[in-house]
Amino acid sequence: MPEVIVSLRGVSVVYDGHPALHGFDLEVQAGERLALVGPSGAGKTTVLQLCTGAATATTGTVTVLGTELATAPAARLKSVRRRVGAIHQQLHLVGPLRVVHNVNAGHLGTWSRTRALRSLVRPVGLDEARSALGRVGIADKLLERTDRLSGGEQQRVALARVLVQAPELILADEPVSSLDPARAEEVLDLLREVVVGRSRTLVVSLHDFDLARRRCDRVVGLRAGRVAFDLPAGEVSDQHGHDLYRIAT
Amino acid sequence: MTATRDLPDLTAREVGLLPGIAGAGIGPRGGGPPGVHRSGRRLWAAAAAAAVAWSLWSAGVGRDELVNPGGWALVGRFFAAALAPELSADFLGTTLRATLTTVAFAVLGTALSVAAGLVGGVLTSETWWRRTQPGRRRLRPGWVVSRASCGVPRGIHEAVWGLFLVNVLGRDPLVGILAIAIPFGAITAKVYAELIDESARQPFDALRATGTGRVAALGYAVLPVALPDMMSYAFYRLECSLRSAVILGLIGAGGLGAELGLAFQGLAYGRMWTLVYALVAVSALADVWGSSLRRRGTLGRVRLSLLGGTALVVASWVHLRPDLGRLFGAPARRLLVGLATSAWPPALPADGWGGLARRALETVQMSLLAIALASALAVVVAFLATRGGATRPRRAVAGAARLVLLATRAVPPPVWALLFLFVLFPGPLPGALALGAYNFGILGRLMAEVVENLDPRPERSLRALGAPNLSAFAYATVPLATSRFAAYSLYRWEVAARETVVVGVVGAGGLGRLLEQQRAAFNYPGMLATVLTLVAVSVAVDLASASARRSLR
Repeated sequence: MPEVIVSLRGVSVVYDGHPALHGFDLEVQAGERLALVGPSGAGKTTVLQLCTGAATATTGTVTVLGTELATAPAARLKSVRRRVGAIHQQLHLVGPLRVVHNVNAGHLGTWSRTRALRSLVRPVGLDEARSALGRVGIADKLLERTDRLSGGEQQRVALARVLVQAPELILADEPVSSLDPARAEEVLDLLREVVVGRSRTLVVSLHDFDLARRRCDRVVGLRAGRVAFDLPAGEVSDQHGHDLYRIAT
Repeated sequence: MTATRDLPDLTAREVGLLPGIAGAGIGPRGGGPPGVHRSGRRLWAAAAAAAVAWSLWSAGVGRDELVNPGGWALVGRFFAAALAPELSADFLGTTLRATLTTVAFAVLGTALSVAAGLVGGVLTSETWWRRTQPGRRRLRPGWVVSRASCGVPRGIHEAVWGLFLVNVLGRDPLVGILAIAIPFGAITAKVYAELIDESARQPFDALRATGTGRVAALGYAVLPVALPDMMSYAFYRLECSLRSAVILGLIGAGGLGAELGLAFQGLAYGRMWTLVYALVAVSALADVWGSSLRRRGTLGRVRLSLLGGTALVVASWVHLRPDLGRLFGAPARRLLVGLATSAWPPALPADGWGGLARRALETVQMSLLAIALASALAVVVAFLATRGGATRPRRAVAGAARLVLLATRAVPPPVWALLFLFVLFPGPLPGALALGAYNFGILGRLMAEVVENLDPRPERSLRALGAPNLSAFAYATVPLATSRFAAYSLYRWEVAARETVVVGVVGAGGLGRLLEQQRAAFNYPGMLATVLTLVAVSVAVDLASASARRSLR
C-alpha cells in the first residue's frame, strides 16, 4: 500500500468572505507527479499554499507527510516544513548573493545559525552545490552573482536549491508561466528528472493543459474551487480541457 | 502610477540608485564580464576603509590627547536637562514664536524650490531637449548647458548662500528663503527631471508628432503622470528645509536656530531642550503629513494637502513679510557690484596654497569620519526602527528607535559640535562627530525605509523551508539591503562634505573654520578663494561618490 503524502479532506477556504475552495478533497501518493490545472482563480495556488501552511483551511483537515497542520505543535510543523520544498513563479532568489549561497539556502532548514553565517564568508558544501548545479546544467555559474544570470538560468538555480534541500514533497506554483514553450518543456523535464531520480512526489500547478498531460502522471482539473476531474494523464481528453476553460455561463 | 510610492524610491532617484534597484524581482541582466563588478566593489570597499583609517590617524586618534576630562560634568548636566525642559509661560511663548518663524522659512523656501524645480526640471529633462526627427545627435546641445548650470547652486551649502545673500540684500527674511530655495531648487530640478524622463515617452511623442508644442505636450502627456511623485518629493524637501531653516537661524535668520544658539551659549540647557522638543514635534508633523500622503494618497487627500500647502505659504508670507523690492532695488545692485569688486581677485590665506590644501583635506577627512560613524550606527538602528513588527515589544523598540533618530537629526550640527567641544579639544574630530550624529538621524531613517520596502518574499520562502530567523535574515534581507545602504551612505557623504562648513563655523576645523575667520575679518578675497575651494572639494567628492555608486549597480 503506497504512502499518502498529502491529504485534503472536505477543505473549504474563505478569503474575506470570498470562497476560494469548496469541500475540496485530494490525496497524493508517494512518487506521484500530479498537475493542478484550471483557469485563473480556480484555487490552484490556494491548494499549494494549504500544503505549505501559508494558507489555513476554514473547514476540513490538511495532512502533509502524516502531520495534520492545523493542530501540530510548532516544532513538529517546522520539521514538516524542512521536508517540503517549494518553487515559486517569482523564484524568490536573492539577487546580490552569489549562486552558491542561493543554492545553499536550501540547507538553511537544517543548518545551525553559526554554520549558515560562516558559509556566507567562506562557502560550505561547495561540492554538493556544484553537483546540484551540474544536474540542472549550469555547474559553471557556481560563483557568479545571481542577478547577472538570465531568467532561464535563475530558474535552474531555484531548482538546484530544491535539489540541495532534498525534500520529500516538491510543490511548484506556475514554475514555467514566464518562459517560452521550449524552455517550459525543458524546465518541466528537469523537474520530472529530479522527482524520479529521488523517488519523490511532485505537485505542480500549470496553466498549460497540454503540458500537464504530457509531463505528469495525473491531472486534477479545478474549476471555481471544486474538483472538475481527477484522472490519469492518459485518460484526459481535449474535451476535458475545453470544459475546464470555457467561460462560465 | 499613484502617490502611494514610498520615499526611498524618490530619494533613490536623488541618489542615482534607481536603475540598479528597479523592479521587485531580479530580472536577468546583460553586459559586463562576470567578476568585474565584484572586484570593483572590493576595490572601493578597501579604498573606503583605508580612507577612514587615514582620517582617524590625521584627526589624532590614538596619538594626541583628545579628551578634555573637565567637560564631562557639563555633558552630564546637558543630558540631565532633557528631563527638565523649561516650561515657563514666558519661554513657551518665545518657543512658539521661534517655531513659527522657522516653519515659515521652511515653507517659503520649499515652495520656491519646488517652483524652481518644476521649471528647472522641465528645462534639464532629456524629454524637453530630445529631437523628434532622427538626426546626428539624440539631444540638442541645450541639454548639456542646462544640466551643467545646476551644478554650482547645488555644490554650495545653504549657510554659505546665506552669508553671500546677506551681504547683497541686507538683513531681510528674503535672505533665509533664498538661501534655502537656491540649492534645494537645483536638487529638486534634478529629481523632477528624472521623474519626467521616466514617464512613458509614447504619449508625449505621439502629441509632438501631430505638431503639438513642447509645453502643451508636457502638460497633457507627462505632468499628469509625474505629479503625484513630484508632490511626495516636495514633502520630503519640506523636512530638509526645516532642518536648514534651523541652521540658517543659528547664523542670523532668527527662529528656533537663533534661540538654540542663545540658550546653548548661555548654558541654559533646560531652554535648549524645550526648543529641541519643539523642533522634534514640527519635524514629526511634516513627516506624518508627507508619509500619510505617500501611503494613502487618495485624490481627496492630495487636494486637501495642496489647499493646506497654499494656506501655509500665504500664512508664512504674512508672518515673515519678505521685502521683494530689495531684490530689484538699486542698493542690491550696488552692493553686489561692491562685493564683486572687493572680492576679486580671490586671495590665498596667509599660509598660501599649502594652507588651503591642508584645510581642504581636513574637510574631506571630517566628512569621511562623519559618514563612517553615521552609517555604522544607522545600519544597526535601521533594522531596529523598521515599522510593522509582529509583537508588541518589537513595535515598542521600533518606536523608541525612530524617536532617537528623529531627535538626533532635529539637533543642528553646530549645536552637536558645541556639545562635543565640551569634552574634546577643538579640531576636526568634534566636527566629524557632530556631523556623524546628525547624519546618523537622517541615514537611519532612510535605511529603515529601505528595509521596510525590501521584497519580503525571499526571506519568507527561506522561513518556509524551516530556516531559523537569523539565517533567513542573513541570506535574504542583508544581501538585498547592503548595496542600497552603501548607496545612501555615499549620497550622504556628498551632503556631509558640504555640511562641514557649518561645523567649521563653531571652530571645528576645515575650510568652514577658515571661512568664519575670514568673515570676521571682512577678508572678501580670502572668502572667495575659500568658497571656490569648497565648491572644488564638493565636486571632487561628488565624482568619487558617483563612481563608487556606479560599482554598486
